[in-house]
Amino acid sequence: MKKWVSLMLATVVTASLLAGCGGKDNDSSASGKDAGASTEDSGVTKFSISLRTLNFGHVEKSPDINADKWVKKLEELTNTDMDIRLVPHSEYDQKMAQMFATGDIPDVVQGQGGVTGKEMAGSVEAGVFMPLDDLLQKYGQNLLQKIPKEAWNRMTYEGKIYGIPEWLGNPSRRATWIRKDLLDKAGLPVPKTIEDFVEVLRAFKKMGVENPYMGRQDFKYADTVFGAYDVFPYLSQFEEADGQVQPKFFDADNMMKALSTYKTMYDEGLINKEFATINPTTFKNTILSGKAGIWSMNANELLQWQTQLQDTIPDAKLEIIPSPTGPDGKGGYYLYGDVNRSYFINAKYEHPEKIIQFLDWMVSDEAEKFFTFGVEGETYTMDGDKINYKQPTDSKGVDEERYRQSFLWLVQDTTYNKGSLSLTEDGRKLMGVFDNILANEGRDGIEFDPRLEALKKNPDITPLSDTPPPVLVTHMVKMVYGQEPIENWPKVIEEWKSKGGNDVLKEANARYQKKEGIFLPRK
Amino acid sequence: MSTIKTEAVELKPSSVVRRPGKGGGLIHLMWKYKALYVISLPGIVYFLIFKYIPLGGSIIAFQDYNIFKGFTGSEWVGFANFAMMFQHYDFLRILKNTLLIGLYDLIIAFPAPIILALLLNELRLVVFKRVIQTVVYMPHFLSWVVIAGMSVAILSPSTGILNQLLGLFGIEPVYFLGDNAYIRSVLVGSGIWRDMGYGTILYLAALAGINPDLYEAAEIDGANRWKQTLRITLPALLPTIMILFLLHIGKFLDFGFERVWVFLNALNTENGEILDTYIYRSGLLSQQYSYTTAVGLFKSVVGLVLVLFGNLLSKKTTGEGLY
Repeated sequence: MKKWVSLMLATVVTASLLAGCGGKDNDSSASGKDAGASTEDSGVTKFSISLRTLNFGHVEKSPDINADKWVKKLEELTNTDMDIRLVPHSEYDQKMAQMFATGDIPDVVQGQGGVTGKEMAGSVEAGVFMPLDDLLQKYGQNLLQKIPKEAWNRMTYEGKIYGIPEWLGNPSRRATWIRKDLLDKAGLPVPKTIEDFVEVLRAFKKMGVENPYMGRQDFKYADTVFGAYDVFPYLSQFEEADGQVQPKFFDADNMMKALSTYKTMYDEGLINKEFATINPTTFKNTILSGKAGIWSMNANELLQWQTQLQDTIPDAKLEIIPSPTGPDGKGGYYLYGDVNRSYFINAKYEHPEKIIQFLDWMVSDEAEKFFTFGVEGETYTMDGDKINYKQPTDSKGVDEERYRQSFLWLVQDTTYNKGSLSLTEDGRKLMGVFDNILANEGRDGIEFDPRLEALKKNPDITPLSDTPPPVLVTHMVKMVYGQEPIENWPKVIEEWKSKGGNDVLKEANARYQKKEGIFLPRK
Repeated sequence: MSTIKTEAVELKPSSVVRRPGKGGGLIHLMWKYKALYVISLPGIVYFLIFKYIPLGGSIIAFQDYNIFKGFTGSEWVGFANFAMMFQHYDFLRILKNTLLIGLYDLIIAFPAPIILALLLNELRLVVFKRVIQTVVYMPHFLSWVVIAGMSVAILSPSTGILNQLLGLFGIEPVYFLGDNAYIRSVLVGSGIWRDMGYGTILYLAALAGINPDLYEAAEIDGANRWKQTLRITLPALLPTIMILFLLHIGKFLDFGFERVWVFLNALNTENGEILDTYIYRSGLLSQQYSYTTAVGLFKSVVGLVLVLFGNLLSKKTTGEGLY
């Protein structure tokens, strides 16, 4: 009732405003405007949008995100009125399915990745959203030009584009981190191969470092060695061998070498003896209290972790190094998808062109300036042509800045925030890490999207994007702990096959032959 | 105004006349106790809306449920989902874990609060008793995530206090959470630690209701404390124990999802995984709604059968029952 009243009021107010302005054209760029335009056409665009909170402190602590200062500013700039509906980060998949099941679907729905991902729960196939090709041609030329083809491919279902992607220009996100101060103390060069890497760990052990390599439950963020041997048992890691598509962990030879390396590390105490029960919090705390030598983490966390680590150990120096290489001279971590977030428009929404224009604005220079630096006179001042941006220092301010630069900026290249990083020496160095180190490493494989039916049916043999399937991880951990001989790996492959893997192989090869919904390795 | 009056007047004699009849009697009784019916209305509505109507949703166990097609549009598949469950290569292992953990819980965790309540009952100093009572209640209010975190710390082979104590006796450190042999003990043990104190509340209430004359008489007859416990306290507690036992039996397969999930890792899932965690993994995480509803329904049916059977047995032997 209340909502209805306010809506009425809003309409009345805008109508009277419009009358006052004498029908001033608000967006002359919209060429598609034709006769018979309704009053709403040049007025405020109202729409509801669901957004995952993504663990952003500022979002989760906000009492009402729709009343947030930056949301209001954004609405002002784009002549829109958003009704943001937050979806809790940790229960995203379930809440999305719930949303579709109840039929209370917002005008714009934010997805995570492709059109047939788990969170979409089959909604695109069910015709909940509209195809956008024609609208994009008419109203979204900037989007079409700026967003790379790989990202658009992910948004395509049966030849039509269904969503607008926020893309990831450099999909190599995870990196090998080292305590450079410890490495210098050990007098060793930066390790290149996996053998050098183990030597450095041994040196760290001798120096009394508690966790030369930081381990974690299920090898999550502790998979450097699997990367070197190119045997990631993950969702996007299929490969072609002898004309057949198979998961990379079928390469028993390299898998056993990788497991042996982990076992050596375990036996010599180079990795925590309790890594099977180390959770993300313990992982981070151990590193930040200076008890770890080498580990893997997302590169964009570098500056933050550096500051936090230096609180405990003032002369600690963090550096990202090229990941240790395996027999093929390559290494790195699994590559992320090309799409970070994506936006789907409800088929029932009346003015989809307005949403396209709104998202099209997101890739403009005006948007970049707004999201990066905020508002002139408030968060920055102009010094001639130069922008004088005060970077916040307190954690609340940092939260707010991250929220504006990442959360609210709906469509951008999410590799890093250029404007903000260019301001400092450390930031420029981090950009260098992305462009010179991470861009040259990483492991990719053949990926099936939509997911293979045989995998959907059997969660035990299904890997996640960065964790091995439950059937495998049990054996992998046991082998490293010495509870099972590593030579058993071929048997483990057979077990995986017998528990439903054979169907997976059959389906994967059939799809591969027909070239249906497959994405080839980018590297 | 006048019509109401006449109606009220009319109602009285007619209902009196109809009293022996069936239908009229019920209406009369309902009218007589209308206040009670009004008071119980919210409860009845609650159970209807939140318990009985959702029960109908169980039909998706017999469908290939698609959230966009709903109950009406989804395809019927009969017992296919149940067949899939029984044929699953891991079903027997998971069922065995569930049954074993349920059994341990029943024979070890269920009597624990009874024993604790009896012990507390014997305490002489009231202040001491109250303090102990409060302290043992406390863990019940901790979430399982917190308990798991504490357990990891306490049971750690390198830094955990338990292993350090064992070390004093020359025992090698044990990786309790990383071993299939210990996980069930850890699961049941953590449950005892958390809920034993809270479980005593009902028993203590029952104990307070025992007539002190009985003890006095027993004392005069020369019964010591132990005899009094056996002959007076336990028999007096028996009805409460029976009721709680039957309720517990009904939840035999419902060991609980969260309390297991937080303890599982690659080294202990083999013995630790139960139906609840399996449902979570394959149902909510993999969105196989029909399949997991079938597993859940199976669990409920087993629970129902156990309750009916237990109740029958209890009524035959002790005369006590749930209904």
